[in-house]
Amino acid sequence: MTDRPSHGRTSAPVRASRRRMGAGEPVGENEREESLARKSVVIRLAGESGEGVISSGDILTQAAARGGYWTQTFRTYPAEIKGGPCMYQVRMGDEQIYSHGKWVDLLVCFNQEAWDLHWESLGPEGVILYDETAVEIPESYLSRARPVRMEQLAKEIGGSLRAKNMVAVGAVAGVISFNTTPIEELVLRRFAHKQGVADANIAALHAGEDEGADLKGSLAIVEPVEVEEDRVLMSGNQAIALGAVAAGLDYFAGYPITPASDILEWLSAKLPSTGGITIQCEDEIASLASVLGASYAGAKAMTATSGPGLSLMTEVLGFAGAAEVPCVIIDAQRGGPSTGLPTKTEQSDLQHALYGGHGEAPRVVIAPVSVEDCFWATIDAFNYAERFQVPVILLTDQGLATRMEVIHKPDTSKVELWERKTSAGWDGDYKRYAYTEDSVSPMGIPGEEGGQHVATGIEHDEWGHPGYTPEIHLGMQTKRWAKLEPLSNGVARHEVYGEERPDIALIGFGSTYGPVREAVDKARAAGLSVGAFYPRVLGPFPAQQVKAFVSGATRVIIPEVNFTGQLARLVRGECGIAVESHAKSDGLPFTAEDIHDVILQEATS
Amino acid sequence: MSSTAPAKPKPTDFKSDLKPIWCPGCGDFGVLASLYRAFAQLELDPVRTVIVSGIGCSSRLPGFVSTYGFHTLHGRPLPVAMGVKLANPDLNVIAVGGDGDGFAIGAGHFPHAARRNVDITYLVMDNEIYGLTKGQVSPTSLTDQKAPSTPWGNLETPLNTLAFAVASGASFVARGASFNTKALTELLVQAIEHRGFSYIDALSPCVVFNNHQEEWKTLVTDVAPDHDVADKVKAFDLALRGGFSLGILYREERPTLNEKYRALVEAAKESDIDRMLEAFSARKGAAIGKPAAA
Repeated sequence: MTDRPSHGRTSAPVRASRRRMGAGEPVGENEREESLARKSVVIRLAGESGEGVISSGDILTQAAARGGYWTQTFRTYPAEIKGGPCMYQVRMGDEQIYSHGKWVDLLVCFNQEAWDLHWESLGPEGVILYDETAVEIPESYLSRARPVRMEQLAKEIGGSLRAKNMVAVGAVAGVISFNTTPIEELVLRRFAHKQGVADANIAALHAGEDEGADLKGSLAIVEPVEVEEDRVLMSGNQAIALGAVAAGLDYFAGYPITPASDILEWLSAKLPSTGGITIQCEDEIASLASVLGASYAGAKAMTATSGPGLSLMTEVLGFAGAAEVPCVIIDAQRGGPSTGLPTKTEQSDLQHALYGGHGEAPRVVIAPVSVEDCFWATIDAFNYAERFQVPVILLTDQGLATRMEVIHKPDTSKVELWERKTSAGWDGDYKRYAYTEDSVSPMGIPGEEGGQHVATGIEHDEWGHPGYTPEIHLGMQTKRWAKLEPLSNGVARHEVYGEERPDIALIGFGSTYGPVREAVDKARAAGLSVGAFYPRVLGPFPAQQVKAFVSGATRVIIPEVNFTGQLARLVRGECGIAVESHAKSDGLPFTAEDIHDVILQEATS
Repeated sequence: MSSTAPAKPKPTDFKSDLKPIWCPGCGDFGVLASLYRAFAQLELDPVRTVIVSGIGCSSRLPGFVSTYGFHTLHGRPLPVAMGVKLANPDLNVIAVGGDGDGFAIGAGHFPHAARRNVDITYLVMDNEIYGLTKGQVSPTSLTDQKAPSTPWGNLETPLNTLAFAVASGASFVARGASFNTKALTELLVQAIEHRGFSYIDALSPCVVFNNHQEEWKTLVTDVAPDHDVADKVKAFDLALRGGFSLGILYREERPTLNEKYRALVEAAKESDIDRMLEAFSARKGAAIGKPAAA
């Protein structure tokens, strides 16, 4: 992590790592001399959508994972289908990567706009690869820029522009001294039945590698340490879909929406192989309504959407709370309000998730912090939904939902599933909404003898018969909220990273975890007493645990990606403590550097 | 649709403990009576039958039946009913509601339930008015009708729900009337037995806010015995003609959505979470891109 780089430099000593964005360890003089190789490198590919940027990024990501590196990606997308500028950032390293990185070590420009949009993100030693026919690099940067004949070589070798991406990938591999074997293996696998195409791609790869030969190895990355454990490469959306399968998902209904559609698509392809089904509905209202129908019939059911869809689902969400029907709703948040920024990230649905809807309908709100956590949090979501007979909203965001990350392969032997309390074995006069010790009532499932009842959103007595007396309403509202109490009393997970009782306390939710974690490491290494609290369940809010965490703090910082500081407002309201809100609303995720700056600013103010 | 009861059930066996909250003389009593009789005739197992409703006077119906019931949201019975049926195809699923519920707020769901051919029955109690909110016009109210929300007369043209049903791809389209319970019972029996999405528009007068019962009785005619129910053009002709044609307008046999899903699940290569995770192995690097169907 560095301060803002100077862009006026003319000489560029392109060599060893002065910066390390990976493990957050301070870079001491000794270490620097130890090895010239970097522990992690940030590569950014940019150009017009459709000219090979995405495929180059995908190949690099897959190859890095295959080659044993930890990897995390970050992409920006145009909201349009054809054209528009796109960017694909790959950060790879030999230790687990928690954030996408701020300063670019290696910028690959496919066109002029790529340079114009991204030169400011170059690190002080950042190297540039560019297609000479398309990009003009200012003279002051030429010493660390090398032309790559992407188009020319692709045409010469493959007879078309199709292999352009392989030339670019080869050039990147050369600069970071990345062993191209995994790339070749991927090519051979992809074109297993087209030897000619595979050969052309591999030739293009090596031709790219030879471009900018004098920069070869200038950003050399350390060889990954061979590890025995299994790792997987996936996106947050994929981890959620897999977590749902692990939790026993039977029924999924959804409506296409960016950035959540991947879940619908992945489950459409895969769920039938487990006996479950996936349906694309006419809108989000129908999606969640049919999920409730399936759940009522005894299925484990889920939908996935983004903010605009959550708005439509809100009436059904309230109904699920009132009628006590288990369901899981994934909200991959994007920039709002309204249609907003479909392809950008934001954490601005928190209060909608917590409070959205008329009346006061109970729900559980969960926020996973990483791709790996998306898997486990989805299982939690099903467990809470089934055990407490309540809708559970799982909040991710565009950044977390779409980024690819190498993670520890989830150990499915550790999956623990909680079942619904049903009317099976009920003796005598069945009461669907019976008051019980834990406030959870046995649910009659169609097909179960004696479990007949009418599930309803109208206020009702224990039998489910409409009733509007003060006793009934107060009794039922109390029951519907009281059943969630175990979540506040030890059932819900939370995590403290860094100091348990810090001087400078950070509280965050969801995808800010990675950058906060790296910033905490760096600040602690510099001697600051810093810790971060990440609740996985935000509703009911773990107020007691948060109060204990901040009990010795002189500063409480709340970073979040929205405009009005929703988590800060929540913490103030739930805990009655003063907090510093660091909300930002630019459609982009925090970097570790952003958070570190905030910590330093608070520490010295 | 088999019964576990040894004796043939009686219509009254399907009554619940709750007494209907409807006004005396409400058409919905006749519809409910027809439903009890149809259930008895079909010997439905109340434990394996689910009645899903929306919001409105008629949507209170599930409470008065001894089967499972799901009193959902205004306009949403169809997607809920679809979820119930897809999750457990062995259940008999009947969605009920009024004309406002089904064709104003819920109209967005109707064509999709119909074209999907989910194996459910949708029974609309059509009184051409909003009864529960005290008499405002509904999508099936007549042009020029004066009501609290249209004090100068309704400016809109009523929706032809039968033509809408045929156009949407409903595989069974019929009309009955609460004042002709024998025929309505028979229609319900056929609708529930029908494999696919069956729609019944049941004229069911609101005696308080829109009492057309006597007039309607003069406007109904039975569908001619020689009407070809497989002919969609003739079905449109009947639907678009003035007056009310009682009987089955259209019927076709085509695979239901639940049957298609069952076939899809059976054809899919069996997998589990561990095999799925293996496909994401970092060493294979195959996770990026669209998944192929299993």
